[in-house]
Amino acid sequence: MDVLLNVAHGFGVALQPINLLYCFIGVFIGTLVGVLPGIGPISAMSLLLPITLSGTPESGIIMMAGIYYGSMYGGSTTSILVNIPGEAASVVTCIDGHQMAKQGRAGPALGMSALGSFIAGTFSLIALMLIAPSLANVAIAFGPAEYFSLMVLGLVVLTFLTQGSMAKALLMACIGIVLGLIGLDSITAMPRLTFGRLELIDGIGLVPVVMGLFGVAEVLINTEQVIKRDVINAKITQLLPSKADWKASAGPVARGTVLGFFLGILPGGGAVISSFASYALEKRLSKTPERFGKGAIEGVAGPESANNAAAGGAFIPLMTLGIPPNVVMALLLGAFVIHGLQPGPLLITQNPGLFWGIVASMYIGNVMLLVLNLPLIGMWVQLLKLPYNILFPLIILFTIIGVYCSSNNVFDVYVMIAFGVIGYFMRKLGYEPAPLVLAFVLGPMLENNLRKSLILSQGDLFTFVQRPISAACLVLAVVLLIGPLLPSLRRKRELVALDEGA
Amino acid sequence: MNDQSSVRLKLNNSELWGGLIGLALGVFVIWSGLKLKLGTINDPGSGYVLFYTGVLMCVFAATIIVAAITEGGPTFGSRWEGARWTKPLLVIGCLTSFAFALDAFGFLLSAIPLMVLLLRVIDPVRWTLAIPVAVLTPLGVWWVLKRVLLIQLPSGIFEIG
Repeated sequence: MDVLLNVAHGFGVALQPINLLYCFIGVFIGTLVGVLPGIGPISAMSLLLPITLSGTPESGIIMMAGIYYGSMYGGSTTSILVNIPGEAASVVTCIDGHQMAKQGRAGPALGMSALGSFIAGTFSLIALMLIAPSLANVAIAFGPAEYFSLMVLGLVVLTFLTQGSMAKALLMACIGIVLGLIGLDSITAMPRLTFGRLELIDGIGLVPVVMGLFGVAEVLINTEQVIKRDVINAKITQLLPSKADWKASAGPVARGTVLGFFLGILPGGGAVISSFASYALEKRLSKTPERFGKGAIEGVAGPESANNAAAGGAFIPLMTLGIPPNVVMALLLGAFVIHGLQPGPLLITQNPGLFWGIVASMYIGNVMLLVLNLPLIGMWVQLLKLPYNILFPLIILFTIIGVYCSSNNVFDVYVMIAFGVIGYFMRKLGYEPAPLVLAFVLGPMLENNLRKSLILSQGDLFTFVQRPISAACLVLAVVLLIGPLLPSLRRKRELVALDEGA
Repeated sequence: MNDQSSVRLKLNNSELWGGLIGLALGVFVIWSGLKLKLGTINDPGSGYVLFYTGVLMCVFAATIIVAAITEGGPTFGSRWEGARWTKPLLVIGCLTSFAFALDAFGFLLSAIPLMVLLLRVIDPVRWTLAIPVAVLTPLGVWWVLKRVLLIQLPSGIFEIG
């Protein structure tokens, strides 16, 4: 009963005209960046982070959340029609989606992708509503040791799942922690690594770092190649899947939804992992696995449902524990912090309007996305024809303006350009930026909780293993760290390792 | 990888250089941690986490170096094989020049040339389209920010904008 009252309260907030407008802007931009290859939700969210300052916290966070789950919908359009993933979570949709389009079945592929995403998005919201308050009650009992160990686990899981060498990913995570510690020490107020520059006293901003590493670096990488697009030009008809399509897709949608939701909750997990895991699961369960890769609708329905369910699930650790499980949620944490809010166990009780308003807005956003992605599909197809030689300079201009507006400081523009160049060389040398960004956000919290735990336990390191949750997290982290030394686990890691940051 | 694109103990082994840069950064972080004072385990100081993070950085960087020496690694050349490497270099050059010009000349006087350069550098857009896009976009953005959102962009020594 309480849940229903809360949901009603949430809809009261979400249905306010200004919040509806922000929700629409969010899902529209999300679909846009999902459709456009080369720009992902991370770049878009970092670009728009400063704009959240102009409205209420509800409006800003509703918009940011909309960009994230909206991009999951939009990403499939490009994968199916152009065979280029609009964003990383849609990579796997290219395999069967584009084959379907080539066979003249672009309509059912797009339709099933949107409807599967809608079903998964709705399920994950219901689960979020039911699980988050209970988990928040448990999380109140968490002490600094549990928080520290959970953050360590989150970072280790992300490095485990990052493409390429794990040593490189761990090095990136360490650099992220160091960058996060620049500025005044929160306990002793001593300046650290500021090199005498006043601009660094408050630390480096998240916006210039993320925009540099993901926005500018992405453009630099893309300029290296002539981007060729093989857009399906045939008129897209019959978007609604047939009975046979539904019959084939019902199982993959259901399994993808549940799998995606739980993988989304895990620290370090997310939409990308979920879509690949769902594809592998469907192929393994299929009686005719040879159809996969040749236009099987199950290969579109499962992964698309999984990545949307994961997008919903990822809100749980952020909202209940205050720990972002991936880079996108780290940006959302940034949006909370900009408004002086701290997500965590007390958020639901202290700011019920905000929490339930965001949840309700996601329902509304999912309906908006269904409209944007089915009847208006033609508009997005036209957008795919926008030339990149005009788009890339515009992205650079908007990143510069976005960074400047976030702090009114030219220094941040320098920081962004520097991180753009660093990010470009990092990618060329096989160093992924995602662990760096997550560690950059978690670094100060990690340090704070470590020092608090040591002070409270009077220097007893066993405090981390005497508490069951903390011990479990650390044991899992150690297993993942030493796991790649075993050849069988190394092979498995190489199979699931992904480019989270793309 | 063929013999020419993967090398072991050679100066153009990119993995080796990546590891060496990581090691240098790790040593610097350890030194910074020590300078800031480690404190005790009962009461960790400002440099405590920095110091141990630096130690971890050195360990991971050493692992990369060892792997680069024993298993070899791609050369710098192979990393850019088949890529139009001059394009990102030109974009970086444009951005660096813009960074120097922004404070001195202000947003409008530095953003318009930046846009012209980018539009002509990446995959040249014809002049008749490049000039209007390069002029109108920064002007439009400047107008919206200044008049609608009341955000002042840098106006530089000429106070334009």
